[in-house]
Amino acid sequence: MIRRLSFVAGIAIAGIAGAAESSEESRELVKRGEYLAVASDCTACHSAPHGKPFAGGLAITTPIGTIYSTNITPSAGFGIGDYTEEEFSKALRRGVRRDGAQLYSAMPYTSYAKLTDDDVHALYAFLLHGVKPVDERPPRTELPFPLSMRASMIAWNFLFLDTKVFTPDAQESAQWNRGAYLTLGAAHCSTCHTPRGVLMQEQSSRALSGARVGPWFAPNITSDLKSGIGSWTKEELVAYLSTGRILGKTQAAGSMGEAVEHSFQHLTSSDLDAVATYVKSVPAIHDPVDDESRFHAGAAFSEVASTRGRGGTHSDSDAVPNGAELFQGNCASCHAVEGQGSKDGYYPSLFHNSATGAKNATNLVAAILYGVERSTSKGQAFMPGFGGHPTDANPLSNRDIAALANYVLVNYGSGKASITEEQVAEGRQEWPSSPLLSIVRAAMATLALLVLVGVVLTVRRAFVGR
Amino acid sequence: MAGERSGDGGADLVVVGTGVVGCLIAEQALDAGLSVLMLEAGPRVERWRIVENYRNLPPSLRLFHWDAPYPPKPWAPHLETRHDKEAEEYLQLEGPNARAYLQGYVRYAGGATWHWAGICWRLTPEDMRLQSQFGVGRDWPFGYDVIEPYYVRAEYAMGVCGPSEPALQWPPNATRSKPYPMGPIPFGPGEHRFTEVAAKIGMRNLPAPQARNSGISYDGRPACCGNNNCFPVCPIAAKYDAATALPRIETKGGRILVNSVAYRIETDARNSIQAVHYFDSQKQSHRVTGRTFVIACNGIETPKLLLLSKDDRNARGLANSSDQVGRNMMDQPKLIADVEMREPLWTGVGPVQSSSILNTTQGTFRGRHAGAMFRMENFARSPLGAAAALKKGLVGKALDREIRRLAACTARLTVEHEILPHAENRLTLSAKRDWLGLNKPNIHYDVGDYVRRSAKEYTVPRLQRLAVALGATSFELSPEFLNSDHIMGGCIMGSDPATSVVDADCRSHDHDNLFLPGGGAMPSGTASNSTLTMAALALKAADAIVRDLQHT
Repeated sequence: MIRRLSFVAGIAIAGIAGAAESSEESRELVKRGEYLAVASDCTACHSAPHGKPFAGGLAITTPIGTIYSTNITPSAGFGIGDYTEEEFSKALRRGVRRDGAQLYSAMPYTSYAKLTDDDVHALYAFLLHGVKPVDERPPRTELPFPLSMRASMIAWNFLFLDTKVFTPDAQESAQWNRGAYLTLGAAHCSTCHTPRGVLMQEQSSRALSGARVGPWFAPNITSDLKSGIGSWTKEELVAYLSTGRILGKTQAAGSMGEAVEHSFQHLTSSDLDAVATYVKSVPAIHDPVDDESRFHAGAAFSEVASTRGRGGTHSDSDAVPNGAELFQGNCASCHAVEGQGSKDGYYPSLFHNSATGAKNATNLVAAILYGVERSTSKGQAFMPGFGGHPTDANPLSNRDIAALANYVLVNYGSGKASITEEQVAEGRQEWPSSPLLSIVRAAMATLALLVLVGVVLTVRRAFVGR
Repeated sequence: MAGERSGDGGADLVVVGTGVVGCLIAEQALDAGLSVLMLEAGPRVERWRIVENYRNLPPSLRLFHWDAPYPPKPWAPHLETRHDKEAEEYLQLEGPNARAYLQGYVRYAGGATWHWAGICWRLTPEDMRLQSQFGVGRDWPFGYDVIEPYYVRAEYAMGVCGPSEPALQWPPNATRSKPYPMGPIPFGPGEHRFTEVAAKIGMRNLPAPQARNSGISYDGRPACCGNNNCFPVCPIAAKYDAATALPRIETKGGRILVNSVAYRIETDARNSIQAVHYFDSQKQSHRVTGRTFVIACNGIETPKLLLLSKDDRNARGLANSSDQVGRNMMDQPKLIADVEMREPLWTGVGPVQSSSILNTTQGTFRGRHAGAMFRMENFARSPLGAAAALKKGLVGKALDREIRRLAACTARLTVEHEILPHAENRLTLSAKRDWLGLNKPNIHYDVGDYVRRSAKEYTVPRLQRLAVALGATSFELSPEFLNSDHIMGGCIMGSDPATSVVDADCRSHDHDNLFLPGGGAMPSGTASNSTLTMAALALKAADAIVRDLQHT
């Protein structure tokens, strides 16, 4: 019975593919779609850790609540198996589901709106014919009122969704245009790197100038020499995208680590060159607080020569440790006694490192709380978290993390202790609380009041008129 | 007891001890939906504090004083060895080989795995059938095929790295049902050289399976970066220790009470266990109840607690109708040889131990004398070299040269012998009492002719041949047998309640709801490190415990 069913299913799939194109062409199409799915990093959100590919269910925490990614396998009841190509395109580029309901903009359809019809066709072919169907329903997303009304996104889209497909700039090279297409479309760089306004819309006037992403900070990647990555060569940018690091400058963690692991490292070198060419050309946006580049701050330092041996031995953790003790006990075993990292570069230096050199120390706190995990063809980069997650072997308190991070900033980084215990506590919450909900609720109340006043006035006028 | 506070809620399962055995069982029970309460005599200390304790030690205490970074609390004393007098404080040792039972263990949350080397050898099928194969010692109540799946589970629970080639695996000719979760740690230069040299005289140096992450993370812990101080503490938790399991246990709902010293196990009219009594750090007594009890305090503290708990129904102590509690105390009697060589060997790259020779543990000779495991210690020799060079009164360039030479051209060779279980090697309660007024453990120890014959006829001659093959110019053998810190035997396992303490699941023959898993249960000591077998026995006991509690 089972065999017969799968036989029927086999015919059905062959039938669909056969009707559309010759099998050779359809194989090529599915392959191209797969590449685009990688470039679009669909898996980052639509595959949960240890879950089946593209079956959804990943909990994405946002400032306004938890959004669960959907099943985009070709399962008919649970995924997108019932979608026509047109319906798929509408979901991908307009944020509208098959049943007409709106998607939340955690799905970067504002970027995918730039994709060409041809590429959408390929993506559709891949997701329907190159992915195994999974008959599982991920948890439902339930945001607080009024955001629970998905229709509220209609107004949002009216204001913020640019529906124009990418149009090449005839003044620029083909490489630049390819890079722009990938950066603005599939790779959806602006989703994280562009700051958002009060309604969570990307502020295009400040494109790619840096924004908070959960506990992390997606930094300024404009061509500004001090605030951005204008000091990087194109080759460095390509190396960064394919390995997640530039020795003596920076390393990818958090969702950028995932983007390198799942997406960028798999792109062709000509596509990476194209992305780098475009990103290098992004207009500089300077932040006045950045008096020097975040990549060159700090120097080797150690005070163990004068402190070692004086600390004694203790059988308690409750003494209030200073930053030097916390640094030597928690960091120096890998990052070395002077913070210089390892000779082979596996353990990065803590000076000349964007995580410690940036004026905004969000990423330093996040790295300590959540650690770093990134696997590329060059191997795994791993730092354990100290934030008290179930598998964190060495949890530290907010007080200790603030003391430790400030010690690192002062001695290896930007030079100024700026981290408070509250900031560490906020990092544990993943997102700072968003004013969006209260703004929307206030706007709705105002609107309701205006309508009420309007009605009253109209009614009164009617009375007076009579 | 007057003034005793009852409470702390009780639990389905009460586990005394937070070492590897207690933590593995606690996590299995929690995963099965049971409630778990753990009691730990000592404090819970953050890793960075112990790392700093270690690095703040004077150089003279950094090597061979693994207890030094773990100052005990008054209510939970353990061996301290900063000077000879101090070493006599807690463990009361007597007999011809008292020195060979100077056991180092840590009464801290996380237990003695804090300062283990992480070595995870399995027993061989023959190791479990000494009586029937060689007419010595005891047989296990089950065979290798029964323990094999538990070995696999233990290897995955702790994250053991090891070779994938069967020719490099141990035991030889025994199939593994699953590969090691990680590949082996690469050899350092000293180990390469030692392996080549040993092979020339028929000794096979194998890469040691070890609970240490090689090249990749495991269970949220990072890969080994070669700090080369696995003992006294892995500074980054690349090596499994039970302290790393504590946050996970709490996340799963387990409760851990530290600074809580169990001192009496209470039986009911049916001679089942109904409570454990413990002192807090203020000497206030408390009582916790449960349905099943696990005493997982390693091979000295477990028998001590059973003897301390004697009552009207159990006049010789709990679980002791056989009079075997505290008897058959075992460890691998160890000899060490410090050698100096013409050529550099350069030990110290990678973990402190990373390989061993085991083909010398097996053979028909075991009817006459002990088998033994040989090893070259892989700790960095620079502190020893520096101390020795300074003693020579050298300064300047000459001092540097001599430190370098001594760090490169010296080594320590170790041999660990298997010992047989003897009833006379016995732990009893000393009349001396600790800070809480509890009796200190007293242990009589004699390694026996089986071991002495092995040293004379078999191991010392081989040590000397190894040294010669390495090009040694000096060879200094330890004058007496030393401890290996692998405490075994005090709650010995067997199928006959008249001659053993626990059954094949480490359940007490005398008390249906009391489990005594760990090294104490092992019926044969063998020449290899005991922790993996302890962990396998813990998981086997956990299965029995979960089965019991889910069906009652």
